Amino acid sequence: MTETNTSALNPSGDPIRVGVYVCHCGGNISDIIDTKAVAAELAGHPNVAVSNDYMFMCSDPGQALIIDDIKANHINRVVVAACSPTLHELTFRKALHRAGLNPYLFEHVNIREQASWVHKGDHEGATRKAVRLVAAGVEKVVRQDELFPIKVGVEPHVVVVGGGVAGMSAAVALAGRGLGVTLVEKGVALGGRVADLDRVYPTEERGADLVQDLTRQVGGHSRIDVRLGSEVVGLDGHVGKFAVTVRASSVASEDQDRLVRAGAIVIATGFDHYRPAQGEHGFGESPAVITLPDFQSALRQCPASQTSLQANGRSVRSVAFIHCVGSRQIDGVHAPQADGKVNDYCSRTCCTATLHTIRQVQSRFPDVDVYDLHKDIRTYGRGHEAYYEEASRAGALFFRFPDDEPPTFAASTGGKCAGTITTRDILTWGEELEIPVDLVVLATGMVPRDIASLIDLRKLPVGADRFLQEVHPKLRPVEIGVAGILLAGACQGPMDINEACTAAQTAAVKAAILLANPTIELDPFVAVVDGERCDGCEKCLAECEYKGALTMADLQLAGATVRRAVVNPAMCVGCGACVAACPPRAVNVAGWTLDQFDAMVDAIVAEDVGALAHTECRAGVRHIEFAVISGGN
Amino acid sequence: MSPEDDLKILIITTMISSYPGANTVGQARLQYSPGTFIVRVPDPVMFPEEFYLDSFAKGIDGIIIMSSGSDCPYEGAYPRLSKRVGRVYARMKEQGIDTSRLKLTTICTVCKAAFLKEIREMQQNILKAKAA
Repeated sequence: MTETNTSALNPSGDPIRVGVYVCHCGGNISDIIDTKAVAAELAGHPNVAVSNDYMFMCSDPGQALIIDDIKANHINRVVVAACSPTLHELTFRKALHRAGLNPYLFEHVNIREQASWVHKGDHEGATRKAVRLVAAGVEKVVRQDELFPIKVGVEPHVVVVGGGVAGMSAAVALAGRGLGVTLVEKGVALGGRVADLDRVYPTEERGADLVQDLTRQVGGHSRIDVRLGSEVVGLDGHVGKFAVTVRASSVASEDQDRLVRAGAIVIATGFDHYRPAQGEHGFGESPAVITLPDFQSALRQCPASQTSLQANGRSVRSVAFIHCVGSRQIDGVHAPQADGKVNDYCSRTCCTATLHTIRQVQSRFPDVDVYDLHKDIRTYGRGHEAYYEEASRAGALFFRFPDDEPPTFAASTGGKCAGTITTRDILTWGEELEIPVDLVVLATGMVPRDIASLIDLRKLPVGADRFLQEVHPKLRPVEIGVAGILLAGACQGPMDINEACTAAQTAAVKAAILLANPTIELDPFVAVVDGERCDGCEKCLAECEYKGALTMADLQLAGATVRRAVVNPAMCVGCGACVAACPPRAVNVAGWTLDQFDAMVDAIVAEDVGALAHTECRAGVRHIEFAVISGGN
Repeated sequence: MSPEDDLKILIITTMISSYPGANTVGQARLQYSPGTFIVRVPDPVMFPEEFYLDSFAKGIDGIIIMSSGSDCPYEGAYPRLSKRVGRVYARMKEQGIDTSRLKLTTICTVCKAAFLKEIREMQQNILKAKAA
């Protein structure tokens, strides 16, 4: 690590000039918070030289405001009050960088998710809060050091977890970009759930053919190492240098675990089919009620020469499909799942899958009466609507039931049909219908696969729907909150084969970009020791859990040899445990110092922003830069 | 302005867990008092005992430490934090500060209800203590 007291745009002694920019977020913020008032009040802060509000700070013109002020008005610190920093902190850091300012001389204040969106009924209170938060941001940024990213050498290798079509697509794409791949599949064969499918929409290819083609590509690639019957049981390290422990299920001994070093990880663990509860639409109570995957499996096994549809040993003359089973559930209407929540999300793929299956039934068994009972039809993909139109033209009857009145099924004994479905059709006048049918097919949705052990290895973020949660579907698709770990396919939510493979390609490209250079840059938020303040008491060492992160060393200071704490940034995780133990505050986490937090509290309790003290540029706007880390995790 | 809104509650959140959790509350448009100030930190284990005591002295009415609990990605950080908060409680008692003004809790990325409950309870505790 090197520390100097130089800065191109803010040399020691220059006054600190903060630019404050308050975003409207197109009304998301300014409909609640008086953004002009916030900007006006912050203009009274003794360190603020420019304070403006703008419609969209993240837009190109918004960023240009900042860049122009840095260049023309000699702004040397920037505060943007806008959405969550998880969305645009990087956007604005890059803007500072383009303007020639150290990108870490920036503070992002969240006044959307944590102010305007949660105080809708109190505009004045929300505005008052925003003023205090932005003032706290100003107080933090005036105490901010110039920081430089930690550079980490990378392993040009990726571990892909899951050998379904998404995992295989990602593996092939990664290998095609010159990266080594370890493809870890828990099962005994590649292919996942697609291998179970007969024809897939919209191409009408056979699922087995798709899997076979991808398996051939995987097998033919020298850079892909396939590990069947294996699981990831350990995950250490960080982006660029993960250490992944892979264990074969046939091997009982930990001694035979395989340690794979990888720069990135792609998770493609897929989904599970929803299993209806006992009695849900008659499921489990009557053999005439089956799930869509089971019905598709029966169709696949049905010989082409067979002219009548058979199920449960009897001829099927009428079949009803019920949509949204296990999806779009309503609290109070549907029974909760094991975790006490209902599946309120749409499984997206089941409408088209159902209509596609109906078309297969109509083509092969034109004499079978088909009924489709739905909340509404969501054939969202290109060409998917055609299945609906064709099914309708071929005679399928569609009934729309109310959200809170799912159809019921009552089995009959000895009747002509297996039972009767009762539903109300809101496409007419709310007519109540009784439909005698031989078979009921439940269009079951997708649920997250149980990957708790994998999630626990790295505390992977899980969404409210229990699928893995990407950071942002538009801004940072397929990324998860842990740098270097990417998502491919239905592990992040219901999607069809096309979408899963597209996500896999995206994950592969993002991993390839990450690992394209010999080093990647990480945020420099690790512990730093101020040698002048450190008195060598060694209390910090007792607090550090990470071996080698913090050690004592003899340093030359003012012509004398002194014993001081020193940090190894390769080993430090930046937790700050050492910080609290240091009486003279010599050790801090770069970018998150105790002095900064004290000043933020001062701003929060201050009654008047203008009364906050002017902060002089310290005789040490420190410049903290680390050497390239090339070894270890 | 309600009495709750006039309070200044400092909410210390972790970058990996409770800060995204606070965002989730916002994304769900769930409402709470504006007398709440969320600060994000890598981990609250970094704060010495004095930070809490000084904050109370400056005028902060209540502090909720929304840690990652057992989900904390930093080895040993949560037990250290828990012990430290215990020591802060002892010093608060010595100084005659109502200990209900400090709460260590665990909030995950989707703990919406728990997030709101902690704020509500802290407000009630502070107002009750003020009234006594």
